[in-house]
Amino acid sequence: MNDAVLSAKGLSVGYTGKAVLSGIDIKAERGKILTLIGPNGAGKSTLLKTLCRQLEPVGGTVFIGKDDISRMKSRDLAKNMAVLLTQKVKTQLMTCREAVETGRFPYVGALAVMGDEDRKKVDEALEMVGASEFADKDIDKLSDGQRQRVLLARAICQEPDILILDEPATFLDIRYKLELMALLKKLASERGVSIIMSLHELELAQKVSDMILCIKGDSPDRYGTPEEIFSGGYIEKLYGTEEGRFCEYYGSVELSAAEGEPEVFVIGGGGKGLGIYRQLQRKGIPFAVGVLHENDIEFPAAKALASVLIAESAFEPVSVEKVSDAMAVMDKCRYVLCANHKFGTMNKGNAKLLEKAENCGKLIKDVEDIG
Amino acid sequence: MGRLRSAFMVTACFLLVSCSGRNTGSSALSGFEVSEHIPLEHAEQFTADRLENGCTLVDISGEKYLIKPENSDVDTSAVKDMTIIELPLENVYCAASSAMDLIDSAGALDMVSMTSTQYNDWGLDNVRWAFDEDMLVYVGKYSAPDYEYILSENCPLAIESTMIYHSPQVKEKLEELGIPVLVERSSYESDPLARLEWIKLYGILFGKEAEAEKCCKENFDKIGDILTGEGTGKKAAFFYINSSGAVVVRKPDDYVAEMIRMAGGEYIFSREDLNAEENALSTMSIQMETFYEKAHDADILIYNSDIVGKVDSLSELVERYPIFGDFKAVRENNLWCTEKNLFQQTTGAAEVIMELHDIFTDKDADDMEFLFRPEA
Amino acid sequence: MNNKIKRAAASYILLAVLLGAAIVLNLCMGSTDVSLHELLSALKDHDSSPVTYRILTQIRLPRTAAALVLGGGLAVSGLLLQSFFSNPVAGPYILGISSGAKLAVALIMVYSLAKGILLSSAAMVAAAFAGALASMFIVLAISAKVKRMSILIVCGVMIGYICSAITEFIVNFSDDSNIVNLHNWSMGSFSGIRPDEAAAAAFIIIPAVVCAFFLSKPMDAYRLGESYAVSSGVNVRLFRAALILLSSLLSACVTAFAGPVSFVGIAVPHGVKSLFGTSKPIVILPACFLGGAVFCLFCDLITRTVFAPTELSISTVTAVFGAPVVIWMLTGRERRMDNE
Repeated sequence: MNDAVLSAKGLSVGYTGKAVLSGIDIKAERGKILTLIGPNGAGKSTLLKTLCRQLEPVGGTVFIGKDDISRMKSRDLAKNMAVLLTQKVKTQLMTCREAVETGRFPYVGALAVMGDEDRKKVDEALEMVGASEFADKDIDKLSDGQRQRVLLARAICQEPDILILDEPATFLDIRYKLELMALLKKLASERGVSIIMSLHELELAQKVSDMILCIKGDSPDRYGTPEEIFSGGYIEKLYGTEEGRFCEYYGSVELSAAEGEPEVFVIGGGGKGLGIYRQLQRKGIPFAVGVLHENDIEFPAAKALASVLIAESAFEPVSVEKVSDAMAVMDKCRYVLCANHKFGTMNKGNAKLLEKAENCGKLIKDVEDIG
Repeated sequence: MGRLRSAFMVTACFLLVSCSGRNTGSSALSGFEVSEHIPLEHAEQFTADRLENGCTLVDISGEKYLIKPENSDVDTSAVKDMTIIELPLENVYCAASSAMDLIDSAGALDMVSMTSTQYNDWGLDNVRWAFDEDMLVYVGKYSAPDYEYILSENCPLAIESTMIYHSPQVKEKLEELGIPVLVERSSYESDPLARLEWIKLYGILFGKEAEAEKCCKENFDKIGDILTGEGTGKKAAFFYINSSGAVVVRKPDDYVAEMIRMAGGEYIFSREDLNAEENALSTMSIQMETFYEKAHDADILIYNSDIVGKVDSLSELVERYPIFGDFKAVRENNLWCTEKNLFQQTTGAAEVIMELHDIFTDKDADDMEFLFRPEA
Repeated sequence: MNNKIKRAAASYILLAVLLGAAIVLNLCMGSTDVSLHELLSALKDHDSSPVTYRILTQIRLPRTAAALVLGGGLAVSGLLLQSFFSNPVAGPYILGISSGAKLAVALIMVYSLAKGILLSSAAMVAAAFAGALASMFIVLAISAKVKRMSILIVCGVMIGYICSAITEFIVNFSDDSNIVNLHNWSMGSFSGIRPDEAAAAAFIIIPAVVCAFFLSKPMDAYRLGESYAVSSGVNVRLFRAALILLSSLLSACVTAFAGPVSFVGIAVPHGVKSLFGTSKPIVILPACFLGGAVFCLFCDLITRTVFAPTELSISTVTAVFGAPVVIWMLTGRERRMDNE
């Protein structure tokens, strides 16, 4: 059952009649998470604001089911859709609970008197975001992250079919980022909420989204599953970053390699080399790595940070040629560090590298030992 | 007797006819026919008529006041469109400072107990003395008087100047509290002697008609000679400079201009000069340029110290407004200032005219009552 | 939660007590002080002291009632505007209401004087009302065309300047006495208010305050800002119009009957919020009415008694007491912001 809860075709969005983005086709389905990614200023916020009727579309229409949202009554729209925005909320003497209660407004009467049901829902929402303990504190006394969670609780108790979030993880620490994603997934799967959000945290976008829409320039660029988007170096092209900075598998980033000929040779493998690569990179010491299997966990980092990388195909034992290539590079280096001392069937060849290093007297124990 | 009777009938019929078009009909009530018209030589802003039933009907520019004498049993319940004032009067609230002098000269000052001008703003000695003796009390500005006090003093009449028309709620409030309000318009007379003649109204109100009559005659006689004499040919201007730097002058129809003329001088502005409209304002503000044009060769300049404050010295004036250095009157040390009481002492009109005449004929003295020369 | 309810209840009781005290003091004090005992006996049997009775019913009672109702109306108007514009110094006159009223009053004063027409106080009230409402309509029309509400404040200020300029222009051509009168009027006064005027004011203000009370739901949603209010289902167009209309009506009414009274609308909402420790509209709106009434009554008492028989103008007194409140509130905000 694929009912599109929110949809738009050929939508143009912008301010005062001028389109910032055009030609947008969007379909948000029940219980699915759609994430917008793209460079700053691409128009993601503008698009989200248009979808939730904070802005008028420059061209085209946004539909909820079959209804044109611009014709819907404010109250009905509020029952269908909730938002979480980026701008800072400036309040005075307003408790968290009161803020969350405004989420129930579409359901309560003219004087906004909360019934028992409403109070229960408010408590539940606060519980879900982990804000129960400071529910009666003033919002302006909270940290940004806490405030964010309270506003999310507000959106939750609005019981929407569609939830629109503009960079919701921005102020959250790692714990709450994870909790937020888990919460969103829960809302989607248990309550069937259709979630549309923009994220800067690509690693999260990759893991939590069902579909990703990439915005670049003045039109949508690609639309697909995370697997489709996070491949082929597309992300780097989308954001215009240097090749190799972004790891598509994990959505992680690495900084640039130190310039120059390698001074240190690292015998890595099994992930043990990661710490050393990063240390050397921080100290600005160019280094070489070998011989590393392409499916080694530290391979993407090594690829990004090492000046020279001698790689071996996955699942193959380190070949003699690769070993001699590595030896050649090692000769040019002043120091050798061995990160991994476990030599099994596949990386037997690296033991020879270690031997050579010991014989040359280039072996050092620690990055700190580098003169 | 027969002739007199028919004259009355004619008058009565005339009044009937003239009133029938309006819905008042008060004059048509019996006993309200006019028995005697009180003669006024100069005043134009009011008329006073004695009625058959002993009451006096005063008409001030359309506003009618019916004055009932003491112990009168006239039924005034059917009277409409008239303010009823019952004699005798005491504890009167007088907010019209220009009327105080007239009341005082009629010998009725002790019948007024409340005023809206503060002690320090009075230039009349008798009034100040009354304050000192606790016979007169300040009850707040005319626009915000202490209603409670006025009410608790059983005030029978409030005499207001036309300023009250800018604060209509005060008049309405007083009337609501049952206090009749008489709006006096003596300051609207363009003839200073006409202003003086208003003393007759206060004579009627306070039962001092004889004194009032006497005062009028004395003053009229005083300046009779000046009035019939030749003009002195001196040109005079009367002005002050307001806070925005504009020059405020009297209009040529105003009574101050009239006083200058009566004293034998010439008021420098004619109606065309000022493009003055015929309206109720007595002053108008003009640019310094316009003033200079006409007044720079005036023989006499008179500065109204009443509102903004006096000129301490000629040199100070010239320093502030250097253009005055070019004025003939300044160069010849003929700039005069008014004393506080010039406007308040209405009965002094004749004196003022005499002093002006003295100035115009170079017979001025240093101890004049209403005008003085500031220091050079 | 219970603490909040207790605090609110206690605050309301405090306000009610203060209001009662203010009313009694206003009825008892004046140039002829009336003791409480005399007050009650005069009310029961008015023949016993007819003068006292008349003073009470014809002078003090209408004035007290007017100060109560108009003060309350002003405070509510200020609250409406402050919550909508999220501006702590927004007051009832921020949309240029009083300037429009002043202009209309100046026009009618000068015109009537020039033509020698007698002006009734009802005409002045009507003129002030008309001028205020004209300003309001201009702002309303502009609000329909703009997106950002902060523009309306600029509008109001501009209207204020334009009206002031035209007023000055008119005043230049008028007699000096007019200027004095206009200045007096523009400082505000409750003097000489008649029972029918007090009744008319109540007739307009009380329904308006009740309507404002029913706006407390959208106002509550607005506390989080306009975007979240929209998301909560507030119809912004309607709310905006209702708010401008109500606050202008309230301010216009006060300005018409008593002239511009400053600071009540700005200071009282802040005071009430601090007292109650919350900004929840449904709780503090009625409290603002009471607070405004109390503030105005005490200030009016001071205008009447401190320099008797000279009356101070009400704006002088409200500014003296109101400005410190505003300053204290703003610095308090600073301190709180620093703590973050």
